[in-house]
Amino acid sequence: MASEAPATARGSGVRRLAGALHRRPRLRLALLLTGPLLWLVVLYLGSLAVLFASAFWTTDSFTSQVVKVWSTDNFHALVTTPVFREVIVRSVGVALAVTALCALIAFPVAFYTARVAPPRRRPLLVVAILTPLWASYLVKVYAWRLILSQGGLADWLLAPFGLSGPGFGLPATVLTLTYLWLPYMILPIHTALEQLPAQLLDASADLGARAGRTFRSVVLPMVLPSVAAGSVFTFSLSLGDYITVQIVGGKTQLIGNLVYSDIELNLPMAAALGTVPVVVIVLYLLAIRRTGALDSL
Amino acid sequence: MHLGRSARIALRIGAGLGFAVIYVPLLLVLANSLNPDRSASWPPPGLTGRWWSAAVHDSGARHALWTSVKAGLGATAVALVLGTLIAFAVARYRFFGRDTVSFVVVLPIALPGIVTGIALNSAFSTVLQPLGVGLGLFTVIVGHATFCIVVVFNNVVARLRRTTGSYEEAAMDLGASTFRAFVDVTFPLVRSALLAGALLSFALSFDEIVVTTFTAGPGIETLPIWIFGNMTRPRQAPVVNVVAAVLVLLSVVPIYLAQRLSADTATSSRV
Repeated sequence: MASEAPATARGSGVRRLAGALHRRPRLRLALLLTGPLLWLVVLYLGSLAVLFASAFWTTDSFTSQVVKVWSTDNFHALVTTPVFREVIVRSVGVALAVTALCALIAFPVAFYTARVAPPRRRPLLVVAILTPLWASYLVKVYAWRLILSQGGLADWLLAPFGLSGPGFGLPATVLTLTYLWLPYMILPIHTALEQLPAQLLDASADLGARAGRTFRSVVLPMVLPSVAAGSVFTFSLSLGDYITVQIVGGKTQLIGNLVYSDIELNLPMAAALGTVPVVVIVLYLLAIRRTGALDSL
Repeated sequence: MHLGRSARIALRIGAGLGFAVIYVPLLLVLANSLNPDRSASWPPPGLTGRWWSAAVHDSGARHALWTSVKAGLGATAVALVLGTLIAFAVARYRFFGRDTVSFVVVLPIALPGIVTGIALNSAFSTVLQPLGVGLGLFTVIVGHATFCIVVVFNNVVARLRRTTGSYEEAAMDLGASTFRAFVDVTFPLVRSALLAGALLSFALSFDEIVVTTFTAGPGIETLPIWIFGNMTRPRQAPVVNVVAAVLVLLSVVPIYLAQRLSADTATSSRV
């Protein structure tokens, strides 16, 4: 009995607390949100805000010390320096090329897995698309380094045709990024094609459309939002990448490389450069949102 | 849509090529770990298990693996707590700024890693260094947890939206307290979503390199950082090959677990 008394006392304490919480939904909500919001808003958004504020500071060119004086010099340099302009255009170009290539390769694969393959085998095929997503990012880039290196698989495959592989450079970067983000494009297209009602296709055929016409007038318009959804991943992941370029890009430079090389000596400039992919991605998202694709994410 | 015979064959070939492109690089990594030659030339002159035994005894790789596991577990633990709390708030309450909260959760993974990386790096060095705390494993965990919250949140919030609050209400009508209802009713409902979120979160952390580069202290080397550092060293190439092959083989484990957990987890993407 003596040992039970404190236990019941504690039990009723817990019950009182539970009752108090139950009567105060606002308090419960505050308890739920305080910790996570401290983490995300103070730590994360706070760091981001300071970083972007520092884009308006400058660096003393002799001491590499940050000078906290408000100026738009960095953004002015961003627009006027030819190297920066060239790299920004190249990075956006790479992201667009990767997106286009992904869509081009993903479509036949998704069409096969969603509508042509025997229904029994389809879940397995989806797993087959997903599996590479779990393989390490770095290992996949490394695989392409192996393929594209001198005397590697690409050279060996192309040798009978009297050709050699592309080697390391811009094409290798586009190729590797396409490989990395391809599943993010296949999956949404697969889902959209799978959900396409068969009656619509039958109706189109009944009205006299051949396969090509049905594809253009029925399938494509209905799948396009999913392509847009997939492109959010392929575009933004390509735009922020700088590791792949370092491994297979040879001397190619993208925005990420410029940010990386400026961090030590000129943090304000690195911060200003870092705003570029963020702004481009936000603009891209706003453009995509108009297609309604973000709702299906 | 009635596809002609030739269209079907063309699609089959196209899909076959697509899958080949997806899997050949991974198989190449596996094959190359058995390549006796130190260069990556193809075809390999023979097969050897020598590098596998060399890799097992490589202290750098083993140490990096252990660091990655610790970082992954730490980040997952933090993400599970924070992600679940936000999921409950967003799914079960209506409040001002609810949409903003779900947006802020996604932001760390939507922005390029290098932006998150340098933002956290400069915040850590201005706030922590005056306190005498340098960058270390702790800061890596903080960085990883920040972008892992979203995967736990997504999984739990999806589950909560599919289950109404009426089960909890029924439990409370039968006399259960708030805590009792959570333990006996709510938790079993979200358990598999939590496991799926934890799995994704650990995988995300285990694979991360960019944020890690900017938040790791000196001497803290996760497995991706180790691979990146040793990739271009010819002497270390065979061991890197083996580590890469092991990671390819290990990627089957989460797929298997996700399949076991539930069908809908496997078809939702990693993000």
